[in-house]
Amino acid sequence: MNMQIPAIIACKLTRLALRLMGRGGTALPGKVALRICPNLLGYLAKNVKTVVITGTNGKTTSARIVEQAFIQTGKSYFANKSGANLITGITAEFAAHSTIFGRPKCEYAVIECDEAATKAIVRQLRPSLVLVTNIFRDQLDRYGEVAHTLENIRIGLSAAPEATLCLNADCSLTASLAAELPNRTVFFGVDVPIYKNRVSEVSDAPYCIRCKSEYEYDYVTYAHLGGYRCPKCGYSRPKPRVSVTRILSQTADSSRIEITADGASHTADISLPGGFNIYNAVGAFTALTEFGFSASEALSALGGFECAFGRMEKFDFGLSPIRMILVKNPAGCNQVLNFLTNLDGDAVFVICLNDNYADGTDISWIWDVNFEVLLGMGESLKKVLVSGIRADDMALRLIYAGIPDSMLEVVYDYDELIERMASSETPVFVMPTYTAMLDLRRRLSEKFGVSNFWE
Amino acid sequence: MELKICHLYPDALNLYGDQGNIICIRRRLTARGIEAAVTGVRVGEKCDLTQFDMFFIGGGQDFEQEVLLSDLAAGRAADIRAAVEDGKTFLTICGGYQMMGSHYLTHDGVRCDFIGAMDLYTEGRSERMIGNMLFRCTGENSGSLVVGFENHSGRTYLGPGCTPLGTVICGRGNNGEDGTEGARYKNAFGSYSHGPILPKNPAFADFLLKTALERRYGSVSLEPLDDKYELAAHEYMLGRLAQ
Ligand SMILES: [Zn+2]
Repeated sequence: MNMQIPAIIACKLTRLALRLMGRGGTALPGKVALRICPNLLGYLAKNVKTVVITGTNGKTTSARIVEQAFIQTGKSYFANKSGANLITGITAEFAAHSTIFGRPKCEYAVIECDEAATKAIVRQLRPSLVLVTNIFRDQLDRYGEVAHTLENIRIGLSAAPEATLCLNADCSLTASLAAELPNRTVFFGVDVPIYKNRVSEVSDAPYCIRCKSEYEYDYVTYAHLGGYRCPKCGYSRPKPRVSVTRILSQTADSSRIEITADGASHTADISLPGGFNIYNAVGAFTALTEFGFSASEALSALGGFECAFGRMEKFDFGLSPIRMILVKNPAGCNQVLNFLTNLDGDAVFVICLNDNYADGTDISWIWDVNFEVLLGMGESLKKVLVSGIRADDMALRLIYAGIPDSMLEVVYDYDELIERMASSETPVFVMPTYTAMLDLRRRLSEKFGVSNFWE
Repeated sequence: MELKICHLYPDALNLYGDQGNIICIRRRLTARGIEAAVTGVRVGEKCDLTQFDMFFIGGGQDFEQEVLLSDLAAGRAADIRAAVEDGKTFLTICGGYQMMGSHYLTHDGVRCDFIGAMDLYTEGRSERMIGNMLFRCTGENSGSLVVGFENHSGRTYLGPGCTPLGTVICGRGNNGEDGTEGARYKNAFGSYSHGPILPKNPAFADFLLKTALERRYGSVSLEPLDDKYELAAHEYMLGRLAQ
């Protein structure tokens, strides 16, 4: 018997029921649908042209830039939310955008996909294009080591030989996918260093993925990204088709860069700051132009997209601006610190560390983050507040980084923490892990009407 | 007083924040006016190991661990064995701990020879043992409680030539079967506990430092430190796991 239609109806009804109860963002509707019809996603995605974005860091921001081009050109599309990037959430999103008979209501979909889940998802989605942002160590209790993540992505992509792959040439792990797969591949990268002062950090991939010799680098942009080459087997950074050729300016709110593609140079304004967002921008630009958008449409998406949920999101409920930046793994957190400590002006930092499943239950990664860099801010760092389930561990890490006891404060209670943020006369930068961000937003929404994530 | 500390393979074995142990060793020594000189020795780097009082080896990804085997075979394993026999202090964690043993048996039966400095070996299994852990060190190993986090698929079995570091109260420990966690032979210690292990287990950290100081200087007493933050992190996890 054909179970697709009952599955779609069950999915839609569950979603509606949850909304009526005022709850959103759960995996339940997709779970219900997949129990009735395990291959529902493949059925629903058959006639939708899909862009998939995966990789460890930058998925959400890259997806928002890509989405912005669909918005600005008036295309009929839908996208999943960052919290719904597993098979359950993606299935529910497809069901919500189809009729009960499974006919798609949109021509296109922009789908952010958890890197460990690509194995199961890409096979069913059969996307036209896949953008792989990078591969870093991330929540080792969930994802295992980087070679494992790389293998998951490779298996996923091997089921979609017709998809165009946009790969980060500067990530030796990501770029190695090209030789393993028959797909048409387009590389993007950054040809020049992006930071004047770069934090020293542990490399997640110091040894050649092919022969295990140590890489040599012409330059490093951050972490293990840059111009690598293996002195033994010759594996090296492929020449990107789309490159960032110059960093023209960087401020607290934006960057201006030069992107060169097929010999033509464009000046691009990105409405987000930070070196990691330069990668997101050039990756999204590449995906968009490969998907058929013009360079000028892609450029206008880079400058026009809205800050993604928890990615330098700005709140104005306090005396001073409050910005929230999600942190989840050493590479991402080091980039955030790199950016924040290079800003001019005084700052109060708030770090909220949780160890729920979605955050990663192992918090030892905070010891791989170079919090010592905060000392370089000198007088302009006014206070560091620490909260979350593992606040005590975070405080210990900061003390060991050399932050003076007098500058550090553990505030366990979120209401008190929000009070402190709101009354700060110095700009506040909040760095929560994923579930800490959800908790904080829930309180903010109750207190100040800040919107919740499923709205 | 001073301790010369060797951080072995910081380039390859650096997976779970274990370099926090180095920060802790340095901090707890300098707080007492003891000089701490830390030298990182990378894969393939020539270095005379006899100059050091204390060694740290962390855990790594399987991929990087394979890179080390040729370095170990090229004489480093013998140097490490000699240092252990000489009573030098070793703290080895997870992959580094496994490497101190005689060998590793992969789950499809391939045998991989390791350093052979401690009488133990490890068998690879597909199921990983992941989660917060709590164990009590045996009496001769300070008797203190240690909190941490384990994430390993290898099961480690001790031979008669070494003793367990402690007894598991919460978590899986060496192999999930015999209730033991970690190992000690002379002044070489191994544990599966990430966290990193030293910062939030100050009693164990001081015990470990004392083994190195006493080998070099005879009887030593360490003045107590203000461990407010250390104990807060320790007690939080203790409270959570004791429930
Ligand atoms: Zn090579």
